[in-house]
Amino acid sequence: MTTAEPPVLEMRGIRKAFPGVVALDGVDLTLHAGEVHMLLGENGAGKSTLMKILSGAYRKDAGEIRVLGRDVDIQSPRDALALGIRVIYQELNLVPHLSVAENIFLGAAPTRGLGVIDWRRLFGNTSRLLNDLGMDLAPATPLHRLSLAQRQMVEIAKALKDPSTGSGQVAKILVMDEPTSALTSREVDRLFALIARLIAGGVAIVYITHRLDEVYRIGHRVSVLRDGRQVATKRLSEVTVAELVRLMANREVGDHFPRQRTAPGAELLRVEQLGRRGALSDISFSLRSGEVVGIAGLLGAGRSELARVLAGADRSDAGRVVCHGQIVKFRTPADAIRQGIGLLPEDRKAEGLVAGLTVARNLALPHGRKLARAGFLPRGCEERFAEPIVKDLRVKATPTQPVRLLSGGNQQKVVLGKWLAGDARIFIFDEPTRGVDVGAKVEIYHLINRLTASGAGIIMISSELPELLGMSDRILVMCRGRIQAEFSAADATQERVLSAALGLAC
Amino acid sequence: MLRARQFGTVIGLAVLCAVLWALTPHFLTVSNLLNIAQQTSINAIVAVGMTFVIISGGIDLSVGSIVALAGVALGAMLQTGYPLPVALAAALAAGTACGMLNGALVSVGGLPPFIATLGMMSAARGTALVFTEGRPISGFDDGFRVLATGSIGFVPAPVVVMILVYVVAHIVLTRTTFGRYVYAIGGNEEATRLSGVAVRFHKTLIYGTSGLISAVAAIVLTARLNSAQPIAGMMYELDAIAATVIGGTSLMGGQGTLAGTLVGALIMGVLRNGLNLLGVSSFLQQIVIGVVIVSAVLVDTMLKRHKE
Repeated sequence: MTTAEPPVLEMRGIRKAFPGVVALDGVDLTLHAGEVHMLLGENGAGKSTLMKILSGAYRKDAGEIRVLGRDVDIQSPRDALALGIRVIYQELNLVPHLSVAENIFLGAAPTRGLGVIDWRRLFGNTSRLLNDLGMDLAPATPLHRLSLAQRQMVEIAKALKDPSTGSGQVAKILVMDEPTSALTSREVDRLFALIARLIAGGVAIVYITHRLDEVYRIGHRVSVLRDGRQVATKRLSEVTVAELVRLMANREVGDHFPRQRTAPGAELLRVEQLGRRGALSDISFSLRSGEVVGIAGLLGAGRSELARVLAGADRSDAGRVVCHGQIVKFRTPADAIRQGIGLLPEDRKAEGLVAGLTVARNLALPHGRKLARAGFLPRGCEERFAEPIVKDLRVKATPTQPVRLLSGGNQQKVVLGKWLAGDARIFIFDEPTRGVDVGAKVEIYHLINRLTASGAGIIMISSELPELLGMSDRILVMCRGRIQAEFSAADATQERVLSAALGLAC
Repeated sequence: MLRARQFGTVIGLAVLCAVLWALTPHFLTVSNLLNIAQQTSINAIVAVGMTFVIISGGIDLSVGSIVALAGVALGAMLQTGYPLPVALAAALAAGTACGMLNGALVSVGGLPPFIATLGMMSAARGTALVFTEGRPISGFDDGFRVLATGSIGFVPAPVVVMILVYVVAHIVLTRTTFGRYVYAIGGNEEATRLSGVAVRFHKTLIYGTSGLISAVAAIVLTARLNSAQPIAGMMYELDAIAATVIGGTSLMGGQGTLAGTLVGALIMGVLRNGLNLLGVSSFLQQIVIGVVIVSAVLVDTMLKRHKE
């Protein structure tokens, strides 16, 4: 790593705001040729937003970007590509039924005029490129025959190709977003060998990960983001794992979490060795009346999968669920609802609301049978049903407004309201305050207090550690589909929870 | 319930009528308007079932074939000498069964609605042809034919049936839990399922409803032709889809009204009638109708985009 020449990339004072949140606030990032720069932070810290600005998917509100010492204005993904910036996302963007070569050169295949593909050149270019990168793949293999790791290699080759010659490396900056999340350890070794080859060739790499062991294996420097701010950039030789965890987690836990704890009562729900292939294994815990059990974990740890299984949305294939003292088997969400389970899903637009229907009709959706007389809905019955809920939750809307016109916080209140009027005693809240303004957040916390005071039990999944610490009576930490650790409210600290979520503590 | 979006189509219908009135004085006579209503009634009835299916986010390509199959069942029963109510019930049952099979293939079998109903379109037509050996069943007594020839006051019986179907279906769609679930499933199937609604069951019912209503159309058609034909109802699915989308129902599901569909069916009927009166060749008519379908939906799409 030489610092005499200008850095490959300088991002200075990058700022980006979305309605209601500042996603990035004055972030700097400098990359040198041949460097692997690790980017760390909790979910929602701003890593993805920063990379989306770099790749032209988002536009920055303020700040400047320099590539090789030159000021650049990245307006679109096309601009970023022209500057030699390549991003490999977690979800691969490949066509399963095309060959390796066709995927790599998708949209840029060499032609013999009139769009007729020059297959010989296509395969020749591909072989040369794969050779350069030290990848042992046959250009003609259909993609769906490859393992996940091999597909990732294809994605990397695709990012690094030079459309005109087929080989060489026009990419100067490569961003990799959690590239090892689905790889076995041998595959990881191969990927790291490739990274070593790339940096030797002068590429600069931004590497996003949650696995701290990887940080030390391949990283030169590390930047830590927290709540859209840059908290540190350090050489990895100068920082310990414990310091990194503290940097990621350290946040003021304000007293704006008004949790009023009540003595837990009878057991409402017990889960024993619950499993779902590829998502959950050996999950056991219980929930008592008046209790809030928080579930922490990183993206992909299996939290939402657990919520969906408990709400009957997906089926389990191992273990059992005991509800109010009886073994229950949920085949559909309706079965879970009959047992008094209400789910606030993670993605309210996709799973929580019917956007085109009115507030009243969304609120009444689970209660159709109760409201109807012989299948007929008396005129205005849904509005009359909705009125007290709307008032109680202070939804800023009338019952007859379509929910798509409401703000995030008010939409969330409607999803919550669906279960308040029913017989639900067990609430599963999956990211209840995501995309919700501060005022509505506090109202949701008060609602949680009210529900537990009246004897309900709540399972709360959240990526916001302060919220989880502030509102839960117990915290379960999930990692790779299992419960990694359990803390009481008194024992839990951000560092301990985060260490467990990262898979470090055990 | 006529929302702002349907005003466009109502105005379109009014303008169309005004133009035709100006071009040919014969257009605006009581007998011609009743004639239009009668000619439109079959397509308008079939389009009711189509509207249910499209609002729920699906499509039903089999309605025309179900019209033929239900008609043939009716004709055969009548000719064998079964009493009229039994024959009518058999026709309605046949249509409903075909529709529910569609629904089961979609909801339980997980097939795309396009494929499931495409299969039924071919199979139901084939069944009607095999059953009749390709020949029409003709000649029914007057007690049955009154469904086509009779009238209440000056309103012909097919139009009466059409009005009844629209009134009942409108009440079902707007005032029952079933109707509510039709919109909810089309708007967001997963959210509806997570709300505890039996989505598979209701989807099966929705396609069953479409089959049932196609059988109603088959009864009227058989009475009018005084003949049950295995090749009846060809291309009815396209007319019904056209009436539904001209009426402002979104193919994406989740929104639409029966009032809109009725206006859509009337636009198609008025256009055909007017072009006939003007002596436009049937070949040319197809071009005009194609243009009208596309422009109606184009205007609707642009208005919606403008509003967003």
